[in-house]
Amino acid sequence: MKIKRILIANRGEIAVRIMKTAHLMNIETVAVKTAVEPNAMYLSSADIIFDNTEDTSEIPVFLDIEKLIAIALKSGANAVHPGYGFLAENAYFAQKCIDNNIIFIGPSPDAIYKMGNKTIARNLALQNGIPMAMGSQGNIANEEEAIAIAEKIGYPVIIKAASGGGGRGMRIVRKKDEMEKMFVIASKEAEKSFNDPSVFVEKYIENPKHIEFQILGDTKGNVIHLGERECSIQRKHQKLLEEAPSGALDAKLRKKMGTMAIQIAKAVNYYSAGTVEFLLDSDKNFYFMEMNTRIQVEHPVTEVITGIDLIEQQIRIANGEALKFKQEDIKLTGWAIECRINAEDVQAGFAPDPGKIESLSMPTDSYVRVDTGIQRGSSIVASYDSMIAKLIVKGKDRKEALKHTKMALDKVWIKGTKTTLPFFRMLVRHPKFQNGSFTTAFIEKDLEKYYFNAEYEEMLAAWLAVKLFVEENLSDDSISIDYKHGKEMNPWLLNKRISQF
Amino acid sequence: MTNDKLQKKKLYAISSENRQFGFTLPLKHTIRIGKRDYDVKLKADEKLGTYILWKNRKYPVEIVRSRQNRYEILFNDISYTFTVETPFSLQRMKVLNAQKGKATTEYIKAPMPGKIIDVLVREGGVVQRGEPIVILEAMKMQNEILSPVNGTIVKISAKPNTNVMKDDLLVEIKP
Repeated sequence: MKIKRILIANRGEIAVRIMKTAHLMNIETVAVKTAVEPNAMYLSSADIIFDNTEDTSEIPVFLDIEKLIAIALKSGANAVHPGYGFLAENAYFAQKCIDNNIIFIGPSPDAIYKMGNKTIARNLALQNGIPMAMGSQGNIANEEEAIAIAEKIGYPVIIKAASGGGGRGMRIVRKKDEMEKMFVIASKEAEKSFNDPSVFVEKYIENPKHIEFQILGDTKGNVIHLGERECSIQRKHQKLLEEAPSGALDAKLRKKMGTMAIQIAKAVNYYSAGTVEFLLDSDKNFYFMEMNTRIQVEHPVTEVITGIDLIEQQIRIANGEALKFKQEDIKLTGWAIECRINAEDVQAGFAPDPGKIESLSMPTDSYVRVDTGIQRGSSIVASYDSMIAKLIVKGKDRKEALKHTKMALDKVWIKGTKTTLPFFRMLVRHPKFQNGSFTTAFIEKDLEKYYFNAEYEEMLAAWLAVKLFVEENLSDDSISIDYKHGKEMNPWLLNKRISQF
Repeated sequence: MTNDKLQKKKLYAISSENRQFGFTLPLKHTIRIGKRDYDVKLKADEKLGTYILWKNRKYPVEIVRSRQNRYEILFNDISYTFTVETPFSLQRMKVLNAQKGKATTEYIKAPMPGKIIDVLVREGGVVQRGEPIVILEAMKMQNEILSPVNGTIVKISAKPNTNVMKDDLLVEIKP
């Protein structure tokens, strides 16, 4: 193995996840300690901790190319794993690593650049005969041009940022008189978010399913796919739950879409792990959307049904090894569902709810896998994403996976912040989720209530409120407790109080 | 508050949606559902913290906020807000509410610290319940602040491209 020591240019659960595989492969890891999270869980997984807590820069170190290269060199790492987010899809970072004789565990800078630019990616797909939503040839200059294209392909259309991703710089236009306003908004948002105001227009596919294919390619030109993931449960283009495989695909459609996914990957000489995203309409027509040139948050569901460790494959491919399996060796077995448990307030429209995790307990059943970078005492900080843990559940088929998910959700115990748990408890009970007919519009259109509670739960909460009131106001021997500070209440005192009940 | 309140023999928890839950005093550790009484226990341990034990299942509970007779309780990850009333104060509350009618101003506050991206309404404008009024960016996500009521915008304090703290006043709406 050429790779001896990997700098993890990331934090949280994905840093923990990468280091877990690295240890199994007897490769050393370097993690970066930051002032924001000096006691983070991922640090305890590392062989070497690089202390960057003195850094007073406004930019997080995980976005600072020069600093990361310097850290890699100083700590003797000869490879970098970028994880997801931050610099994972930054072609310049990948090139900088190569220039400094550091192995970048990911695809080539050229593939990152081409797939990162949506206009180039669209043209590549066109040249390779990949089905795509009709749209503009390249970027458009102004709203008149956008209107001309929309008239040709028919409304509704979607304006997208050429350098975009993650749902920003996207606007749906349903009629002509909305175009001028939406064009300006999308372009402004694109410039603000991606430093590039260029946008293009394509036909908007109504109520599609989001289906993506996991790709693995090596540096010898072999490319295979590991089946699909269904990621239609999303809110504002943020995925909340993913599963593999998808009930919407049969073997024939899987083969057809998988072949197309491999073809687009080959068009950029893709190596490493990557994901080709498609939209699937109600008539089972599919359209290429984009390719993500990184490991994805939802990669575990594919690992569960294929038995392949994707991080290990990324490391081996970066090491120059050829893939050990061919397309026909890939078997999809069972069903996997992943719930993203985030620190968000479902009752307040999924608003982030940062805070300190006071207690955390996860199910340990054999059908459950938990990927997390959070432990008791960890803080969900406002500077990073709101993820607490990924709850990955398996079953022999979808029905069993659903049953297991429902059981596992009741065993997750998190205190200190509000979480997306009540949303998932509702979701697993929803007939449209159970029968698989949901689309990306599910959360917006099909839901009246974003959370689940049994009828008696409110009554039990009411009982507790009355109990507290009685204790505070009607007890003769009341210990003076500052209940007004709610959460900051000394737990020892609370326990003492409770033991008196 | 004095012990004479005890003589009233009953307390009510009134939810934010005006649902009423009555409990007789002294407070029992059972709750009646249909014709059966079920034990309810408030417990705590080192690993899980405070929880309620009900029908052999543990439910996490947290007291998020407590002010005078107002309690926000997180029960099984869902937040409930109650005011606890005696029969007397409940009666008074009903009278006061009838006098005030429904025309109390809604104060929309920032649910978290962040940056105001856009204000989607103007003073004097009319909003529907559920309509986005302000876009607040926090934790890399743009969050729409929705109007909780149908009403008229009385005052706008939020300015685009400014930072706000949690609970800063953004908009006032007259239902």
